[in-house]
Amino acid sequence: MNASGIKLGLGFYTALFIVFLYGPLAILAVLSFQIGPEGGPQFPIIEWSTYWYKHLFGLTPPSRIAPLPIEQALVRSLALAVMTMIVSTVLGVTAAQAFRKKFRGSGVVFYLIVLGMMVPGVLVGLGMALVANTLGIDRHWWGTAFVLHVVYTFPFAFLVMLAIFNRFDPSVEEAAWSLGVTPARTFRKVTFPLIFPGVLSAMLFAFTLSYDEFSRTLFASGRDLTLPLAIYGTFSVEVHPNVFAFGVLTTLFSFALLGTYAVLMGLSVRRAKRVAIQEEA
Amino acid sequence: MPSLAAFARPADCEAFREKSGPELVGTEVTSVLQLKNVHKAFSGVPALAGVDAALSENSYVSLLGPSGSGKTTLLRVIAGFDQPDGGEILFAGKRIDSIPPHERGIGFVFQNFALFPHLSVAQNIAFGLSNRAVDPVTDTKIVAAKVRDMIGLVGLSGLEDRAVTQISGGQKQRVALARTLVTEPSMVLLDEPLGALDANLRTRMRGELRTIRERCGVTFLHVTGSETEALAMGDTVLVLDRGRIAQSADAGTLYSRPASADVARFLNCYNIFPGAVSGDAFESPVGRLALGGTRLTSGKQAYAIRYDRVAIRPRDAAAAGDEVRIEASFVASEYSGAAINSFFTLDDGRVFEVETHLSHAAPEAFEEKARYALVWKREDALVFD
Ligand SMILES: Nc1ncnc2c1ncn2[C@@H]1O[C@H](COP(=O)(O)OP(=O)(O)OP(=O)(O)O)[C@@H](O)[C@H]1O
Ligand SMILES: [Mg+2]
Repeated sequence: MNASGIKLGLGFYTALFIVFLYGPLAILAVLSFQIGPEGGPQFPIIEWSTYWYKHLFGLTPPSRIAPLPIEQALVRSLALAVMTMIVSTVLGVTAAQAFRKKFRGSGVVFYLIVLGMMVPGVLVGLGMALVANTLGIDRHWWGTAFVLHVVYTFPFAFLVMLAIFNRFDPSVEEAAWSLGVTPARTFRKVTFPLIFPGVLSAMLFAFTLSYDEFSRTLFASGRDLTLPLAIYGTFSVEVHPNVFAFGVLTTLFSFALLGTYAVLMGLSVRRAKRVAIQEEA
Repeated sequence: MPSLAAFARPADCEAFREKSGPELVGTEVTSVLQLKNVHKAFSGVPALAGVDAALSENSYVSLLGPSGSGKTTLLRVIAGFDQPDGGEILFAGKRIDSIPPHERGIGFVFQNFALFPHLSVAQNIAFGLSNRAVDPVTDTKIVAAKVRDMIGLVGLSGLEDRAVTQISGGQKQRVALARTLVTEPSMVLLDEPLGALDANLRTRMRGELRTIRERCGVTFLHVTGSETEALAMGDTVLVLDRGRIAQSADAGTLYSRPASADVARFLNCYNIFPGAVSGDAFESPVGRLALGGTRLTSGKQAYAIRYDRVAIRPRDAAAAGDEVRIEASFVASEYSGAAINSFFTLDDGRVFEVETHLSHAAPEAFEEKARYALVWKREDALVFD
C-alpha cells in the first residue's frame, strides 16, 4: 500500500503542479479563439474563430475596439532585452572570471553584485526616477531603464557563470599557457568554448528576465512604454481576447527561443559524441 | 598500439635540434635549469624551503619524494603557474621568476593530462603550434606534417580524429606528451605522468618516455613518488624531502650511497636502525653492530643495511669474522618476479626485510615463527654519523 500510496501522492502532486503551471496558459489559449468583436474574455466560447489574431495584425474591419497599442512597445522590449542580454552576459562572464582568484574585498564585491537582484524592484525603479529627476536626466527605456535591467540581470548571469567556473578544471588553461599561448588567446580558444553552455544559459536568463521586467521599468522608462507596461495599460481600460491572442503568440516566441537554446546547447555538448560515432561507423 | 621500436625512421624527430649523445663524465655540462634557494609557503606553511638544484641539458631527471614533500609545488613554480616567495630560477641562463608561463618555453605534462576536451587528438597536438604567441605556424600543411610526425613518434597513428574523451588512459598520456613535444620546448616538466596508468602500461611507458626523450634531445624533469620509477628512469635523481633537495645523484650512487637515513628510507630498500656510534660498534636497539663499512656524514645517526645484502642462515650457524649477525623470527615471504622478499621481526618488534635474488639461490622454505640468523658483511653496511 505504502509504495503505491506514495506513487499516487506524487502523481497527484505532479498533476497539480502541471495544472497550475500550464492551466492559465491553456485557458488563455482557448479564450483567444473567441468570436469577435462581440465575444468577451470569458467562457463560454460563443463561436470558434481566429478573429482576435487578425485583429492583432489590423486585418479586421474597423470596430469599436481599438487595436492593441503594442507594436512599438514590442520592438522596444525586444531591443532592450537584447541589449541587456549582451551587456549582462559580458559583465557576468568577466566578473565570474575575476572571481576565480581571491582578491582583496572579493566578499564585499560579491554581495554588492548579488544585491542587484535582491532589492525590491519598485523601490529601485522609484529611486532611479528620483535620481534622474535630481540630476536632470531624461528617463528613457534605453537609458535609465536599461541600466536597471542590467543591474537586475547581471547578478543572475554572474551566478550562473560562477557555478560553471566552479566546476572548470584550470589545468587545461595552464596547459595552454605552457604551450606558449597567451592568456587572452587561451581564454578565446580553450576557456570560452568550454564554458559556452553556461554562457548560453546566462544569456537566456538575462533575456527573459529583462523581456518581462515590470516593476523597475514602471518608474524608470519614461514615456515610451515597454511591452509589459503597454499590456498592463490596456488592462486598465477593458480586457479583450486580443490580449490573449497576443499572449499565445508571445509564448510561441518563447518556445522558439528555448528551442534555439536547446539546439545550440545540444550542438556544443554533443560535438564530441558525434566525432566518436563517426569514428565507429 | 605500435611500439616505438616500430618507428625506426631516424628522421622521426628531425624537427628537434640535434644534440650529442649521453654526456661523458668530465665534459663541460651546461645546465638548462638552475634553482637557487627557491622558497614557497602556503599561508605560512612552507612547501619549498630553499631548493637548490641544477639540471643539465639533454638529460632525464627524476624527482623523487614522499607525498606532500613539495614536488608538484616545485614544478608549478618552475612552470610559472605559482609564484615563489623567494629565490632565483634560471632557465637557459636567464632569470625567469617574473616571466609569465607562456613566455617561459617550458612544457608541462599534467598528472590528469589536462587535454582540451573540445578538440580531437590531432587538434590537441596542433594547438600549441598554431596558437602560440612567438613564432606561430600559420601554414596548415606544415602544422599537419609536424602533427603527423609527432603522432607517429608517440604511436597514436589511426586515432587522429578521435575525440580525446574517447581514448584510453595510455593514449591520453601520449597525446599530452605529443602536444607538448611538438612545440619543441627545451625542457618538459612531467608531474607523475604515469600515475594514472595501470602497472603493465606504466612499465611499457617508462621505456617509451626514455626513447622519446632521447630522440628529441630535451630535458625531462619527471616527478614520481615511486622509487623504482625514479631509479629506472632518471640519469639523475633528485630526492625532495620536506621542501629541500636531500640528494642529487645518479641512480647507482643514490642506491648504494644514500646521503642520509631519510633518503635511504624513501628508497625502500634499506633496513635502518637508529642509535649511535660508540667505539668500534654501532649501539642499536637490537644490540651492538660491529663497524667496518662506509661512514657517511649526515645530520642524524643511523645504521643501514640493504635488503639484498643480507643472508638468512640457520640459527646455529656462526658468523665469520667480517660479518654482523642478528637473530630474528620469520614472518612471511613475498615473491616479486625475480626476487623473494622475506620479512622477520626483531626482538624489539621492528620488521626486518631480506631480498633474495632467485638467480643466486633456490627459494628456501622458512618456518613461521622460527628463529634464524641474519648475517651481512660489515663493509656492506652504511653508517650515518
Ligand atoms: N594550493 C595549495 N594551498 C595550500 N597548501 C598547498 C597547496 N598546494 C600544496 N599545498 C601544500 O604544500 C605541500 C606540498 O604539496 P605538493 O602538492 O607540492 O606535494 P607533492 O609532493 O606533489 O605530493 P603528492 O605526491 O601527494 O602529489 C603540502 O603540504 C600541501 O598540503
Ligand atoms: Mg603532487
